[in-house]
Amino acid sequence: MPDNWTFVVAAYALAAAVFGGYWRWLNRRERELAASRSHQPSRSGHPRPEPAARPPLQQ
Amino acid sequence: MAWKDLLVERRSKETLNALLFFSLALLFVFQFALGPDRERLAAVLPGLLWLGFILSGVLALGRAFLVERENDCWEGLLLAPGDKSAIYLGKLAGSLALMLVVEALVLALFVLFFNVDLGPALPGLALVIVLGTIGVAAVGTLFAAMTAQVRARELLFPVLLLPVLVPVLLGTVRVTEALLLREPLAAVAHWLQLLVAADVVYLTVGLLTFDVILEG
Amino acid sequence: MSTALGWLAAVALTAGLVMGFGVAPLELTQGNVQRIMYLHVPAVWVAYLAFALGLAGSIAYLAGRRPGADRVAHAACEVGTVFLGVNIATGAIWGKPTWGTWWTWDARLTSVAVVFVMFIAYLLLRQAVEDRERAARYAAVLGIVAALNIPLVHFSVYWWRTLHQPPSLLKPGSSTMPPAILAALLVNFAALALLGAYFVTRRARLLAAEEEALA
Repeated sequence: MPDNWTFVVAAYALAAAVFGGYWRWLNRRERELAASRSHQPSRSGHPRPEPAARPPLQQ
Repeated sequence: MAWKDLLVERRSKETLNALLFFSLALLFVFQFALGPDRERLAAVLPGLLWLGFILSGVLALGRAFLVERENDCWEGLLLAPGDKSAIYLGKLAGSLALMLVVEALVLALFVLFFNVDLGPALPGLALVIVLGTIGVAAVGTLFAAMTAQVRARELLFPVLLLPVLVPVLLGTVRVTEALLLREPLAAVAHWLQLLVAADVVYLTVGLLTFDVILEG
Repeated sequence: MSTALGWLAAVALTAGLVMGFGVAPLELTQGNVQRIMYLHVPAVWVAYLAFALGLAGSIAYLAGRRPGADRVAHAACEVGTVFLGVNIATGAIWGKPTWGTWWTWDARLTSVAVVFVMFIAYLLLRQAVEDRERAARYAAVLGIVAALNIPLVHFSVYWWRTLHQPPSLLKPGSSTMPPAILAALLVNFAALALLGAYFVTRRARLLAAEEEALA
């Protein structure tokens, strides 16, 4: 029986990519939210903020 | 409640007629998709039958709360006094009656067009059709109420419903297959138990959670 | 607390890799490709644990209406879906060299796929309902139906594939597993469970932050 190491590596790499991707997505969302919250006090000076300055819409 | 729905239904007859023609159209589509080979058709007949039942059921159930939505009576449902599970049972009975009528006629059409000899299988078939349809209608009524107020409900409703119905579909198709092959019901007793279990689970969850959906 | 959990998961995952590739012996019939099992099997266990947590969270939300319970249910179902996705993908990768095909309508593969689709639908419902409170209620109902449906799916698909009366409800063969392989499996299960718990706490916290930002 051949070892099929490529399949083993592919399986573990894929799992690492999925878990890592999910972890990075969590980190990114958390940073975005923290950033948008810290911007809020400074925004109070501008009655109508630029559209680009608003937090991105949730999908 | 069921009585009211049935009355409305009988007066308009619109849903019933449309559903019947939909089932008839499905019958033709199945026939054309599979070609005239009678043996191949006979092998997949139970599956086709239940596919037709479930698709027409999805359409029927998707319209279960249409009257309330279109006539702005949703608030009325929310404010209805008393136990909300009575509304659930009423809607369920209405959909069940509609689906059973459509299914009986579709079955007759199948017998006619595909030249199936039901004969002694009929009582067993009636049993499995009732058991399966109760399962479909129990979850379907719950999910139809859930998606009635959601955007993209026509899409979301089958997306929610179909995966949940996999056990019911597998059970009913297997039992129907056994019945058409003249196998004794005892050979598929575990499937019938599974269908009963599914019906009990779906009905219980539906009764217990329907008022949660009708909160607003 | 979640940071500690994250480090714990990282350590445990390293230990799991050592157990899976270093300690566990070479499986004789399949060769080294069998080592995918230390990832594949624990992933589905963790996914089902997460769905059980999702069921508990859904029931708790309907009983007490605390937003925290809903966030746990949402996070658990999402993380469970991710783990189930990993299970299916690694199963396909394992299936290609051993069975010669990426996918077969085998009983366990099929039932896992059906459960996967059910919880994708759950996440879709979450997205489709805009009002937070209503989304929480609807999702709790769907979460309960989906979780209770798992045993029904499992039995029906199992019987569908075997086509006959099931010989026994217990899976044969687990008792013949060598202790080193079993140990590697359990260490990896603990590692993935820690990872799952870490993800659930992080995701629940993120959901809380999202709600706060929208409020």
